[in-house]
Amino acid sequence: MLHFKKILFVLFITSTIVFGQEKITLSGTVYDNANNETLIGVSVFIPELNAGTSTNEYGFYSITIPKGTYKIQVSYVGYTTIVETINLLEKLTKDFKLKEAAESLDEIIIEADIEKLNVRTPQMSVNKLTSATIKQIPVVLGEADIIKSLILLPGVTSAGEGASGFNVRGGAADQNLILLDEAIVFNSSHLFGFFSVFNPDVIKDVKLYKGGIPARFGGRLSSVLDIYQKEGNSKDFNLTGGIGLVSSRLLAEGPIEKEKSSFLIGGRASYAHLFLPLFDNDNKAYFYDVNTKVNYRFNDRNNLFLSTYFGKDIFGVSDNFVNKYGNNVVNLRWNHLFSDKIFSNLSLIYSDYFYGLILDFVGFEWDSGITNFNLKYDFKHYINENIKLSYGINTIYIKFNPGEIIPNRTSSGIVAEKLTDKYANEFAAYIDAEHKINEKLTLQYGARFSNFLRLGQDELNVYANNQPVVYNEQFKKYESAVATGVENFKRSDVISSFNNFEPRFSLSYVLNDNESIKASYNRMAQYLHLLSNTASPTPLDVWAPSGRYIRPQLLDQFAIGYFKTLNNGAYSLETEAFYKDIQNRIDYINGANLIANNEIETVILNGHARAYGLEVLFRKNEGDFKGWLAYTLSRSEQQTPGRNANEPGINQGNWYSSPFDKTHDISLNGSYELNKKWKFNANFLFQTGQPTNYPVGQYEVQGLNVPIFDDNRRNADRLPAYHRLDISATLTPTTNNNRKWQAEWVFGLYNLYGRMNAASINFRQNRETFRNEAIQTSIFGLVPSVTYNFKF
Amino acid sequence: MKKSYILPVLLILFFASCEKVVEIEVPSTAPKLIIDAVFEVYFDETPVRANTVVKLSKSVDYFDETIPPVTNATVFLTNLTDNSIINFSDVNADGNYEPTISFIPAENVVYELTIIHENYTYKGTATRIKSTPLTSVTQGDETLFAGTETEVKVEFTDDGTQENFYLFDFSKKLFLTIEDRFFNGSDYNFSYFYDEEDITLPTTVNIKMSGISKEFYTYYRVLIDQSGQNAGGPFETIPSSLLGNMINITDESKFPLGYFHISETDTATLNLVEKN
Repeated sequence: MLHFKKILFVLFITSTIVFGQEKITLSGTVYDNANNETLIGVSVFIPELNAGTSTNEYGFYSITIPKGTYKIQVSYVGYTTIVETINLLEKLTKDFKLKEAAESLDEIIIEADIEKLNVRTPQMSVNKLTSATIKQIPVVLGEADIIKSLILLPGVTSAGEGASGFNVRGGAADQNLILLDEAIVFNSSHLFGFFSVFNPDVIKDVKLYKGGIPARFGGRLSSVLDIYQKEGNSKDFNLTGGIGLVSSRLLAEGPIEKEKSSFLIGGRASYAHLFLPLFDNDNKAYFYDVNTKVNYRFNDRNNLFLSTYFGKDIFGVSDNFVNKYGNNVVNLRWNHLFSDKIFSNLSLIYSDYFYGLILDFVGFEWDSGITNFNLKYDFKHYINENIKLSYGINTIYIKFNPGEIIPNRTSSGIVAEKLTDKYANEFAAYIDAEHKINEKLTLQYGARFSNFLRLGQDELNVYANNQPVVYNEQFKKYESAVATGVENFKRSDVISSFNNFEPRFSLSYVLNDNESIKASYNRMAQYLHLLSNTASPTPLDVWAPSGRYIRPQLLDQFAIGYFKTLNNGAYSLETEAFYKDIQNRIDYINGANLIANNEIETVILNGHARAYGLEVLFRKNEGDFKGWLAYTLSRSEQQTPGRNANEPGINQGNWYSSPFDKTHDISLNGSYELNKKWKFNANFLFQTGQPTNYPVGQYEVQGLNVPIFDDNRRNADRLPAYHRLDISATLTPTTNNNRKWQAEWVFGLYNLYGRMNAASINFRQNRETFRNEAIQTSIFGLVPSVTYNFKF
Repeated sequence: MKKSYILPVLLILFFASCEKVVEIEVPSTAPKLIIDAVFEVYFDETPVRANTVVKLSKSVDYFDETIPPVTNATVFLTNLTDNSIINFSDVNADGNYEPTISFIPAENVVYELTIIHENYTYKGTATRIKSTPLTSVTQGDETLFAGTETEVKVEFTDDGTQENFYLFDFSKKLFLTIEDRFFNGSDYNFSYFYDEEDITLPTTVNIKMSGISKEFYTYYRVLIDQSGQNAGGPFETIPSSLLGNMINITDESKFPLGYFHISETDTATLNLVEKN
């Protein structure tokens, strides 16, 4: 560790002393000319110096170069490149406004690694999608969806249709850090996983980091899904919307004070009675989300953003059963330029996730949730054209409400009970440098220091030998221990404290203009655990903090990759291999009940996990026909050994497949532009069936027929392979020309050949024939859809 | 609160129409002795009566059509307070072993069940678990999800002086386990709903409520889950082995399945009728 710091220091020193020439800083912001939205990831390049930079998440760029006259080339995929000659004699603030290359609404923008700069940047294992790409990808019921689109990328899978969350490089769904304008989103799904919570109209930029994760991110192991929303058009008033089979969207944006301040209000709501036409009583199932944003540009140096997100699902069946859950986010951000080289962003974020249930027939209501206050101060320091530093601090205060039971009528006999609230504080400080050593070699290195304090709670159980789970030698099974007492704490007490040093390192070595090799290492610490014992997370799963009985998860990931652009960027090939090792991955004792369990530590066993694989992404970036082929070969495993020689652990202490282990994952996406009017898109997906458990026998007790599952072959069987083909056609009426109202129709056919993919296979006795059966549950067969999108 | 209340709802609504029977090749394992010894003491009846059948069988492959009974075992019960022995015999040679003398399990006595079969000796113990009588069992008018269910309202008074666990048998192989954690000492009432497929109205159902041990509660909860009456889907809990409380003392690795338990049980008979 000391060694690493030394390297960091040396690199830093050598790079700062090399230059003697007088340097000038050019900085500014790049906007979309049409609506004044800032643009993320725009390349600002100076060919004479072969030096460049790209705009950050707030559209800001800064580059420090020797005095002189240069041609500045500002380019962004899908936009017309600006080439401007600038005589740089003293420091200069220069904003650019890029024009969209094609004015049509449905322009496909696949932001690929086609700029030379991207071959050079050490950042690897990252995939980007734009809102336009997402809207093109055919999805079930025509609901454009970020997460369903991500699954088409290498290394990303999900448990299938109707499954919440997603899995990155063999990681669990709770190991994804999902950020919406820098705020943590705890649940990314509507309707138990059918749709994701992000309104595609409001999305500006989506980046998924799968490895080589920069030091500014932390708190989750597997990936970072970094989503930025639009700020709102500060030039003109605009309406965008869509009408689909499941939901409708409407987005209004416009200036409050022209080019200084804008607002945005976006809403999306599904139709009530969704999925429920078969039942004739008063059932309801719907979701909505509302995004609002206001920003104010005080001057070139100060920008203020206020944004909110509210999303909710309501799902009720008569008055007997009502289920509500959702996320709320309120976010205040202040961009400030300390100088033309130092960009800062201060964020003050509140976010929560709540889950509520009314079960009238058993007489109670249930509420649970997680609330957090997040303060972040991030700096980007553009030292010179070779070194860019990011540093900052982050502190998150988290309150966990594992659940509360409230009688819903006085006659129910239910006694109110509150599961003990838990509190924690997560602090982190980081520094990260992107450092161009020479024309060939660029490094990104840094470290994050994280500290997690489990704060005092009312009652903390104490167990004999500090063991909340005991192994019953006689019956050969793990059992929950009975607490021997409780310890009481003040809120200000610290029950447990964890510190982790998380080094991050990436390098890229350019072989020639079209080829590079990249390598990365990252360590991550995760202090929160989603308690879930099912194949896919459910909305009612609760988060639990690390503490006396649950240790933080720690990951080490290594990745290497080879990147090549062919034919002057018309094609690109990205190959990566990764290896991940995770310490302290929890699993559960047999028969564990996770719901409303106030002593969750008594059902948890500690283990570890590992995943490794190879990803290949081949893209065609230009022409009428564009698309990609992604292939992932991987393995994801878990091991939960016994704590001593007498205990078997899980699966006799041997490695077993994690529930999201998929050996082969192939996805093919293609789009074809026939003419200005018609555009076609197709997806094909193939995934190895997910691990499952088949019974090794059956027996009968109490008249019930019961399958026998063998603990020594956990997750040893597989569901049949998952595959499907989807197609969509986008019609842009020619009447769009020369009018303000722009429209398009998207027609889709999901699962074209109607394969009934298995979501699960269950075993049970037929209630009429009394014969045992294997029942395969499938979710979607062929689903046609139509969506109408408009912009005004 | 149990997951099984909630998940079936999601599953019924989303997945019910997309189920089909598939052919699966399942793995196989060596047969195990199955001990089904769940005794019920009908404490609220006069005279007090008991069901004390020990049912023995063998496990078979999952898709085998018959489950063979075990008829050649030696079965006896030892009262560990006075070391008296009650012998059991399989009079009808159908695997159902009954006491050779009339026998009502007594309170506060530990009974040890011994089974000798194929040179292995299996043992386990149980004590009669207290229960409380049903206050009322009536048919209600409410429905649940589909609008075609039949409601049964159950009411009883929980004993506030101890932690209680209950097993309800609604006949038709429909069981429910509950714990008194959220209604300790209360007059508790809840509704149970029969699906349309479960019963044909009018019909008579026999409803049983038993006091059970915490361990048996945990066991039974998983048993109900694994017997597959919950529909499954992606929210299904990863299945695992379900071990009971009987031990093979000759060779621990050849463990049996099933449970030895003694409960106090109250019963109610209810005529269910068609309601609009």
